[in-house]
Amino acid sequence: MLISCNKLKSHIKNSEDIDWLKIWDIFTIRTAEVEGVKVVGNQFDGVVVAEIKECQDHPDSDHMHILKVDIGEEELVQVVCGAPNVKVGLKTALVKVGGHIDGMEITARPLRGVISNGMCCSGRELGISDNHDGILELPTDAPNGMDLKKYYPFINDIIAEIDNKSLTNRPDLWGHYGIAREIAAITKHELLPLEIEEVKNDQEDLDIVIKDPNLCLRYCGLKIENITNNKSPMAMQVFLFYCGMRSINLLVDLTNYLMLELGQPMHAFDARVVKSIEVGLANDNDTYTTLDGEERKLTHDMLMIKNGDKYFGIAGVMGGLDSEILPDTTSVFLESATFNAGSIRKTALALGLRTEASARYEKFLDPNLTIIALKRLVYLLHQENPNLKFVSNLTDIYPTKVEEGHISLKKKTVNIYMGKVIEDNIIKDILERLEFKVEVTKDTFEVTVPTFRHTKDIFIEQDLIEEIARMYGFENLEPKPLKLDLVALEKENIFNQEYEVKRLLATKYNYHEVHSYIWYDTEILKMLNVSKDNVKILGRQENNILRDDLSFSLMNIVYNNLKNKPRFNIMEIGTIIKNNQNKRVLSLIMVDEEKNTELLYNKAKEQVKYLFSALKNISVEFKDNVKEESYYDKSLGKVITLENTTLGEINVLAKNITSKLAKKKIIICIDIDMDKYELLSKENILAKEVSKYPSVTLDYTILMNNKKYVDLKNILEEFKSNLVIKWELVSIYENKYTIRYTLGSMNKTLEQNDISKFKERFLNHLETHNLSLGE
Amino acid sequence: MEKELEKLKEELKDKLKETKKEADILNIKSEYVGKKSRISELLTSLKDMSVEDKRKYGSLINNTKKELEEIVNKAIENIANQSNVSFDDTLDYDIEVGSLHPITIVAKEVTDILKRMGFTVVQGFEMESEYYNFEALNVPKDHPARDMQDTFYLDNGMLLRTQTSGDQIHSMEKFGAPLRVCSPGRTFRNEDVDASHENTFFQIEGMVIDKGISIESLIYVMKEILREVLHQDVEVRLRPGFFPFTEPSYELDCSCLICGGKGCPTCKHSGWIEIAPGGMVHPNVLRAGGIDPEVYNGFAFGLGLTRIAMMKYKINDIRVLNSGDLRYLENFKIN
Repeated sequence: MLISCNKLKSHIKNSEDIDWLKIWDIFTIRTAEVEGVKVVGNQFDGVVVAEIKECQDHPDSDHMHILKVDIGEEELVQVVCGAPNVKVGLKTALVKVGGHIDGMEITARPLRGVISNGMCCSGRELGISDNHDGILELPTDAPNGMDLKKYYPFINDIIAEIDNKSLTNRPDLWGHYGIAREIAAITKHELLPLEIEEVKNDQEDLDIVIKDPNLCLRYCGLKIENITNNKSPMAMQVFLFYCGMRSINLLVDLTNYLMLELGQPMHAFDARVVKSIEVGLANDNDTYTTLDGEERKLTHDMLMIKNGDKYFGIAGVMGGLDSEILPDTTSVFLESATFNAGSIRKTALALGLRTEASARYEKFLDPNLTIIALKRLVYLLHQENPNLKFVSNLTDIYPTKVEEGHISLKKKTVNIYMGKVIEDNIIKDILERLEFKVEVTKDTFEVTVPTFRHTKDIFIEQDLIEEIARMYGFENLEPKPLKLDLVALEKENIFNQEYEVKRLLATKYNYHEVHSYIWYDTEILKMLNVSKDNVKILGRQENNILRDDLSFSLMNIVYNNLKNKPRFNIMEIGTIIKNNQNKRVLSLIMVDEEKNTELLYNKAKEQVKYLFSALKNISVEFKDNVKEESYYDKSLGKVITLENTTLGEINVLAKNITSKLAKKKIIICIDIDMDKYELLSKENILAKEVSKYPSVTLDYTILMNNKKYVDLKNILEEFKSNLVIKWELVSIYENKYTIRYTLGSMNKTLEQNDISKFKERFLNHLETHNLSLGE
Repeated sequence: MEKELEKLKEELKDKLKETKKEADILNIKSEYVGKKSRISELLTSLKDMSVEDKRKYGSLINNTKKELEEIVNKAIENIANQSNVSFDDTLDYDIEVGSLHPITIVAKEVTDILKRMGFTVVQGFEMESEYYNFEALNVPKDHPARDMQDTFYLDNGMLLRTQTSGDQIHSMEKFGAPLRVCSPGRTFRNEDVDASHENTFFQIEGMVIDKGISIESLIYVMKEILREVLHQDVEVRLRPGFFPFTEPSYELDCSCLICGGKGCPTCKHSGWIEIAPGGMVHPNVLRAGGIDPEVYNGFAFGLGLTRIAMMKYKINDIRVLNSGDLRYLENFKIN
């Protein structure tokens, strides 16, 4: 929202004491964020009032004229001008030679061969309106030669832009008067009362009906005739322009002016068409054409202003074309009303039509503002139209009056929140400057809340503490450490455990952590020809399916990195949604050349074993797994198990899917259930006794002949001997697997005899299982 | 004589320098200290010298011989200690080291400082109910924050959480008062993605509930976190804000680290960056968490981890973070 400092000054007594450039830094930390401050009116100098005395066509141009203008000097000045509205007697703005406009110095120069000693300007060129249809037209009583800024002192202004979002909860700040009230409170100045005009209610009441008092809280109407001057004063035009609005005509400008001044949206209808007013809901599927010429489709929850039996406007959002103020309008029906904030917001949202009015109504305006705004408008309209006539009473339909609030604020609560004791009179002063009424008792402040702060904003003690804290100044509070009790806190380990896992994998196995989205990339699904069904995001067509397989959801990241890297490892710990539940999963993906499949596959198993062993002291096992998902290889899937619990899976991406991502690659995916991982406790470690006597190692190279390691393992596990400390696989060459036995005894050094016996028994065991030794 | 002895030593050293094989050194040994060596000759010639010369040169020649032997023996010892495998010992391969995501690093730093201040670290749920995301946090049914255009609603009646603040309620329910928790996590907003907007980003929620908590303690905690994470004293300012779940509410800004507070596009030329909304926990929120607001009060804050990571590492395009592009991410080595 744009705020004019000239306007603020007019509401504050002794406003010249305030530094209007610097005040906005303070305003930001006391009230609401100011996004920028701009000085306006300084884009020109050397501009004076000039009266056109002579006007001739330019001999070499079809639209330019040669003018002689009076700028209060002895001789007339010759200028060339291309504007269409030049005529003898017109007073306009002239940049003299040596003057500046928009950073450019005006010099005497020929235009198509005729010397021009200056330049006549439009409102847009001067930066005071968006009118560029012709040069500025000044009143006839403007003194020739007077500096324009002296004649119109309001051209010099400071405009502050306040972040609308930071005003969400402050309906009272959606107009200049509310901002002025804050600044007066911050700087300890006096806010001046508004000048209004009381309407003598000696006519008939208007026919106004509110159908639903929950949706329309108050409706004030007034009919006025004999409005002959419908041109806004220059000061109002420039103010509206500086605040981002266009000047149209006096009646429309006044409603906008009041909205910018008080925050109260108003509407002026051409009185010729107004019969009776009813505020009620629309019918489904009706249509209505708004002021902007758009036909709108209505629904049964949209609040409408109706005139007789016809729609007349969308309440609080926008009026219609048929009641627009026209150039020949001389009688007006003025509306100043308060509508239900939620209803207006929904209507504006549904129609995609957020207007200045609806933005304000959404904020819960104070219904007590309507009548003040209307009386204020009458006051301003009367100044421009001394002969106007009231043709109705100021009719005020106000079903449920909004009253001031009352809060008993305990001194103890204030002291706790502020962290220190603040004197009663400081608190009282702060609240009173913000127009709260305060009565100090022994333990409390009895606070009366004005209605303009009591529609949404201030209801409980804490709301008042915010007022006190911000006006006292956060910068005047000292940072104070927390006092901690020396008690052990709840043990929550999940964040640490996840970090530990990621750190181990990054440092030991060179994994790079990535973050991806919680939904599948639908484009990649399409490319891979995989369909997924899971929880969906409403109202989205793309990327709308939540992931139920973390590794597979990372395939877009795999795909993109394959464009730059032939091989890489990535990991993520993330959430998947499975069976309508959140699940935490660790996904590890290895990408390499297809020829390294076996190596990679064994690496995957090693990494999983290492992870559980290093961080949980747990030895996991792998079992065959048949996946339902067609995108994983059917024969190579494994589940990671501990006893009967499944802790995760290892999968190889199916060949036909992999080939769509890149040629001749292997992609291995490990998924570990972090919910289960987190709950696994570390295996208890008990000290183990070791032998004092040396151990002996024996290597056997076994010919495998169509057997897999798992078969060999079972056979070796079956072989029992109390000399065996451990056995392990040490190497593989073609179909020859070399096994190393470590033998020993707790009681003695093994003798040749013990070892021979072992050898004999072992070879027998192999023989019974049809295994033989290799060379 | 002295000169000749010195010269012998130099000669020997020079020869040894060029010799690498043990056999060659042995040859040199017999040449310089063997029976037919010059030094042996000199020793033999001693007996023909005058008494005076004997006295003069006897010990000198003997000592020199010892020195020569020592030099040769040392050379032999050195050769014996050396590996006889020859290879290119100048090779230098690039090592590959994994990396952690910048958000993980920042989250770790923030939780570390909070832990030192006595906070428990918890983790919430990305798919959340309307109750925990809005209702229990005092966000009424028709509040703009609940609008479709800001929130990802799901077809199972749940939503993707728009804030980590729901963890305030989960924590109060789980632990009761007094309470000190923080909860880092991922949040979602229905936004169009561009260089400075993401629909998926990280926050950390913090909450303290006890008897007699003040705004001053909130300021302390926030300042400490920022100083720790950004490794410098940052200027912060509090200004009024509005959130349904805190009252009073604040926006905490820190001076822009990109321009040092002078004003730049990142801080929209204000010199300040909004970094941590927060405030004193609203009594309705305490009630929703089963805590009596007449006895306890507290503060809560959210801290944009994504924004901190971007400031700390000077990342100028937010999309990098969820791109999975290793060319960016592999730089974030573990520290």
